[in-house]
Amino acid sequence: MSEQDTTRHCDELTLMMYVERQLDREAAQEVSLHTQTCTRCLTLLRALDRESRLLTRSMLEQDEPLPARLAEFHEQAKRSMRWIWGIFFGLAALGVYAFYTEYIAGFQSQLEQAGFGSSNLLSLMVFQGAFYKGWLSMFTLVEFVALASVAALGVFAIRKYLRRGTALAVMFASLGLFAAFVTPAPASAAEFRKNDTVTVGKEETVKGDLYAMGDHVRIEGTVDGDLFGFGEQVEISGHVTGDLICFCQSLRISGQIDGNLRSMANNITLTGTIDRSATTFTELLTIEPNGKIGRNLTSFTKSLTLDGNLGRDLLTMIGKGTINGTIGGSLNAKGENLTINSSASIGGPAKFEGDNPANVSSEAKLASPLAYTKMEHKSHQRGPSFSVWTIIWAAAYVLFGLVLLSLLPSFSREASSNVENVGASFGLGVLVLFAVPIAAVIACVTVVGLFVGLATLFLWYGALYFAQIIVGATVGQWILGRVSDTWALIGRMVVGIILLRVAMAVPFLGIWIKFAVIVWGMGALSLAVYRRMQPTIAPNIPPVPLPGPTSPLPSNTTVGS
Amino acid sequence: MSVPGITEPKDLIVRARAGDTQAWGDLYREYAPAIFRFCRRAMPTREDAEDATMEIFMKLRDKLSQYDPSRSFTAWLYKVAANHCWDLLRRRRARHDKDMEDVEELPLETPEPNQLEKLIEERSSDEVRKALSTLGARARMALVMRYYSDMSYDEIADALGVRRPFVGVVLLRARHELRQALEGRGVLVAGGTQ
Repeated sequence: MSEQDTTRHCDELTLMMYVERQLDREAAQEVSLHTQTCTRCLTLLRALDRESRLLTRSMLEQDEPLPARLAEFHEQAKRSMRWIWGIFFGLAALGVYAFYTEYIAGFQSQLEQAGFGSSNLLSLMVFQGAFYKGWLSMFTLVEFVALASVAALGVFAIRKYLRRGTALAVMFASLGLFAAFVTPAPASAAEFRKNDTVTVGKEETVKGDLYAMGDHVRIEGTVDGDLFGFGEQVEISGHVTGDLICFCQSLRISGQIDGNLRSMANNITLTGTIDRSATTFTELLTIEPNGKIGRNLTSFTKSLTLDGNLGRDLLTMIGKGTINGTIGGSLNAKGENLTINSSASIGGPAKFEGDNPANVSSEAKLASPLAYTKMEHKSHQRGPSFSVWTIIWAAAYVLFGLVLLSLLPSFSREASSNVENVGASFGLGVLVLFAVPIAAVIACVTVVGLFVGLATLFLWYGALYFAQIIVGATVGQWILGRVSDTWALIGRMVVGIILLRVAMAVPFLGIWIKFAVIVWGMGALSLAVYRRMQPTIAPNIPPVPLPGPTSPLPSNTTVGS
Repeated sequence: MSVPGITEPKDLIVRARAGDTQAWGDLYREYAPAIFRFCRRAMPTREDAEDATMEIFMKLRDKLSQYDPSRSFTAWLYKVAANHCWDLLRRRRARHDKDMEDVEELPLETPEPNQLEKLIEERSSDEVRKALSTLGARARMALVMRYYSDMSYDEIADALGVRRPFVGVVLLRARHELRQALEGRGVLVAGGTQ
């Protein structure tokens, strides 16, 4: 039968499924009969069959040998790398020790000396003092949700690496941590006041903690608890029986604080009394002649004037400091200029590390002569120990990179390739480097987002180091060539990190190189995160190619003959 | 389903499942070339294929205890490989190959039979492989699963996450994409129009 005799041709899908033996007996017989009479469909059927065979032949042909790196069983390669892990861990231990002795130990002892009395830096930051108390009293469902969200995000990020046992361990550890947070919570009431001007009148007594937010916060009466003040101007002329935690432009204390002062403000003036210790981050701190701090003062300030009375120790980093009053304990200052006038009195040892020698009046009453140390800037340290520590630090970075690249190989590769997108990486890097910590601090200040803020800060801090690893990996690839294998990438990362650390050790220029690397890497990481957060597209079902009577066929159908 | 030239080494599989490292190494050497070739066809670059091969065998080692010895080891192995490769491709596709969606929406037209025959006659295996590497992820994966590993329509449906009746459509669309790539221009349609 000729083509002209056929009324309708078979569609291509039906013919292909006939070739593939996917039609049921009835449909297959129809095709078989039709192609006996229709030259066009028979030709197409043969062409499709030849196409199938061409595809199979093309794919099965052994056109290239197994690559050398796949030729041997991978486990052997892993075994051979074990000694490298040993070296890396050894160096990492040294790196951690270096970090602890260089930064944490000294800082911790100074803070303990300043009256924080903590043996643990984390508990110092989060759980000590009025912040903790205030936070606990605010522990609401919202905070629980925030905490749970952070935990869920963390588990999601590492889900691929969690085995059942590990997941259980993580879950129990989280529960333990959660219980540790919640169980010691004291049951104390908290009051919120928010207005342009928040005032606690002279005759008024607020029972429990008070959260006061407004342009002007005036406490003339009594707060029988902790006071959290947020505003442009905060004035305390009344009595706070707990701690004062304050974030504002201007803080003036003329009243009585029975607890501690923790404050971040533009300027602080104290004419009243703080019974316990004070910690301040401020541009201008003035303790007037009648101002008094019962215990210690820890201050990071541009200009400090102490005319009043400090019961115990003063620990400070200053631009300019002037002491006219009394310090009952020791003085430990670091900064540019320090002046100790004739009316000053210091009961303990006095140390000053600065750019210029302190100006000490001969009439000042000092328990011992002031010990002055010329401040040594790190960029000037070029002794043998500096080189040793540079090597140890580079090794610590390498280890950190090794762990990250092993745990997050595909993310690291993506971030590394983003480094080459220079404009976007730098732009985003600048934004993330500055905006994220600001946002995190704001989240902390709002108390409700304290954990979210702290977690973000923690991640941001980690990203500062990860950024350098990523840029190092890219630099290594520029030199040794691109790779996609994780171990090869680690090798290139090692080379890149070493080169970057050497560049960063260059006097003056090194610090700028480091800054650029951090911004660059931070942007690349952010780009990778951003791209990962794009929604995944579900596989869409393609439309049936041709309209007609052919409908999708039932499964497991074969041609009978 | 089987790897050409390989008779399934049952004893080796049993020993590897029992934790025999030597047996596992032998099994790897036996199957690595075939799985690498599978990945080479399915993945866009040689580096990707090498990585995927390595990852598949690492995954396989963890999953070997789940293998049912009463079934074909090769079929199971290809299923693991296909799922892994498709998982990788799908993740990339979501980020990079959004433009391929447009291609998948285009209507298909039946080719002119003689012209299709001519095209197939003129093209070598090497040209087909090159054309294959230019296809979209889903098309490439479908063709590899069907014509390299001889996977059934049910298995392909399962791996690609489509309903079984649409597997034929996916394969046909992939063939059309391949023909376009082989031609380097328009679709072959009835009447010789390209």
